[in-house]
Amino acid sequence: MSPRHEEILHTADMLRWELGEQFHDRTVEALYGDAAQIAKKAVIMPGKKTRLNFERTLDHLVTNRWTGFPLMFLLLAIVFWITIEGANVPSALLADVFLDSLYPMLKSFGENIGLPWWLNGLLFDGMYLAMAWVVSVMLPPMAIFFPLFTLAEDFGYLPRVAFNLDSMFRKSGAHGKQALTMAMGYGCNAAAIISTRIIDSPRERLIAILTNNFAICNGRWPTQILIATIFVGALAPAHLSGLVSSLAVVTVVLIGIFFTFLVSWGLSKTLLKGEASFFSLELPPYRPPRIWQTLYTSVIDRTLIVLWRAVVWALPAGAVIWLVSNIHIGGVSLAEHAVNAFDPFGILIGLNGVILLAYIIAIPANEIVIPTVLMLTVLVTKVAGVGSGAGVMFELDSELATAEVLRTGGWTLLTGVNLMLFSLLHNPCSTTLYTIYKETGSAKWTTLSAVIPLGIAFVVCFVVAVVFSAIGLT
Amino acid sequence: MEIILTIALLVGGTVAGLLWRKGSFLRAIRRDKARVQLEDALKHIYDCEYNRLACTLESVAGTLALTPDKASEVIARLNALQLVTHDGRELRLTEKGRDDALRVIRIHRLWERYLADETAVREQDWHSDADKKEHLLTPQEAGELAKRLGHPPFDPHGDPIPTEEGVIPAQRGKPLLDFHAGETLKVTHVEDEPEAVFALLVREKIFPDVVAKVAANSRKGLELETEGRMIFLSAIAAANVRAVAFEQPDIAPEASKTLLSLRLGESGRVIGISHTCRGVQRRRLMDLGIVPGTEVTAELQSVSGDPVGYNIRGATIALRRQQAEMVFIE
Repeated sequence: MSPRHEEILHTADMLRWELGEQFHDRTVEALYGDAAQIAKKAVIMPGKKTRLNFERTLDHLVTNRWTGFPLMFLLLAIVFWITIEGANVPSALLADVFLDSLYPMLKSFGENIGLPWWLNGLLFDGMYLAMAWVVSVMLPPMAIFFPLFTLAEDFGYLPRVAFNLDSMFRKSGAHGKQALTMAMGYGCNAAAIISTRIIDSPRERLIAILTNNFAICNGRWPTQILIATIFVGALAPAHLSGLVSSLAVVTVVLIGIFFTFLVSWGLSKTLLKGEASFFSLELPPYRPPRIWQTLYTSVIDRTLIVLWRAVVWALPAGAVIWLVSNIHIGGVSLAEHAVNAFDPFGILIGLNGVILLAYIIAIPANEIVIPTVLMLTVLVTKVAGVGSGAGVMFELDSELATAEVLRTGGWTLLTGVNLMLFSLLHNPCSTTLYTIYKETGSAKWTTLSAVIPLGIAFVVCFVVAVVFSAIGLT
Repeated sequence: MEIILTIALLVGGTVAGLLWRKGSFLRAIRRDKARVQLEDALKHIYDCEYNRLACTLESVAGTLALTPDKASEVIARLNALQLVTHDGRELRLTEKGRDDALRVIRIHRLWERYLADETAVREQDWHSDADKKEHLLTPQEAGELAKRLGHPPFDPHGDPIPTEEGVIPAQRGKPLLDFHAGETLKVTHVEDEPEAVFALLVREKIFPDVVAKVAANSRKGLELETEGRMIFLSAIAAANVRAVAFEQPDIAPEASKTLLSLRLGESGRVIGISHTCRGVQRRRLMDLGIVPGTEVTAELQSVSGDPVGYNIRGATIALRRQQAEMVFIE
């Protein structure tokens, strides 16, 4: 470099300090100024000076003190109703095809081509059954819920919900858009984790990810309803039992919301204190939803990706479930060894060894927890005439029969209540954990998102168990 | 059985903890305590020269919290490395010593800039965090950090960040106490030590680039008016701030109208974002199009009244109360 060049570079270096810190601000201002000038010359805006009348009316209704929240609850209720009612038919159909027709065919096919019994069991009773179960329970609600949700988003309604709820979330250090990711979590936590991308502030996004688990996903709704009916509903007179068990489920949902706010607040004050935080929320104009595009993106981006991850996890888990039930050491299956080992701790926190083992081996999806619990209970208690053999998950047609099996397994009211709480609070399923890892790219946050809820679940269940024994209920 | 479970959990937790802290953990072991002392001493001597103060063995011992014996050992090593000379009492840096000091200072200030711009770490914690980081980053890593931050010229206290070649300009401005009543000034530097005084300045939102008018200057202290607020700074606090005279502030010292004063349907023209709004927060507001001259209309109120939706350049943007009060309008 010639001395002349060096001199120029040196001068440039010195000028940087003279320009000062506000140089960036000035540049942005100038850019906006120029852009506005150019737009003014080149763009004609015909008519539309103010916003459309109907938009104003709608916005007024949606953000009004008296109509805002009732409207929101009504829409939410409708979406859930359509999802639950609408999912029944395709779910039954898929179960019919995958579980009732294809499964026996595969089993006998395996026998016919001379597979050894253990390979036949591992492949079809274990891996195939777990996968088929996950697909038939998970796919229909997701395929209905996600498009509905995306339509509401596309129409412009959901940003208004975030707008209305922001003040509540702000107080716990979170972002109003977390209301949307929570609502998504009621459908599927894994998909909800992907949807936290709408929160662009790093701290608030991590809060939404780490607390999403407290929204019970569609794999946990049936568990909640079943256990509430068997254990809580049964306490009330027959004509009220339906109401009482629904109230129990609603209470669980509210407890979940309570923990969402509590943990959000705690995280924003401690672990996430140093993460950058800012608020921004755009309220786009209302527009007619693009139905086909919405269907395509919600089915491809959300439903199929999540389903694929669930299937990938269900296969090995199905193998594990079958193996622990069928490998024997000293004449006793691995599953029984594990159940016996977990029992003291399980009973200490008002659950039992079967439940803990079921939550470990059924980690890929909450949908298969109850079938696994039933199978393990039958395996451990050696009840005759129920179920389909060691390592084969099953469900019973009637609640009475299920209650019968669970009571034989030593379940009490406390076990029922604590299972509902544990199902609400425990760690996310492996599909969700994997999604969290993909989204955050961090082993630290993935670990915490499992450890924090699990710790809370243990503590809450333990406290409930202590309270139950203190007031003499068992 | 619980015991086994507990042990498993504890071991698992520890291993996980170690794994994710591995980076800083291993580096902490590698960190050479002696090197840290040498670098800290160089930095101190450089500070003295920059502020035209005499640097002595005692001041080194005081700043590094060492016994005089230990301090003279450190200085002897610096001398042997030809980084420092001394004529009797006063210590001076050699050319090489100054380069080394500037390298450490560059990393320190870049890191403070990073903490200010890209994290929500408290102002009071910037300095101590950067004190550790300055010994850990290599010059290459510092170069990458500078590139990522857009080669910032100043740290968040207003101190210039030396270039890679070790170029640094002379100090700007004069002490705040030298300004008279009626003068308008722009803060150029806020000293971050001692921490108690700095915390007080942070609480009063005195940052570089804040523009203020001196309302009164007496022996007790200084009264300032800025962005519609009156601030009293004791003489001790004011002594830690430097400023330059400044004639045309975008936000007048007595300005008081912000977006908060708009009722639904009303509009205002932006004159600027408060200079106490910094880092990501400020960039974000500017990215939304909130720059001087932008017309903003309050359009929509949420159920609880906060946030409020504003029409900014044709888009409806919800801003929280705490953001709206940062935007000054005509």
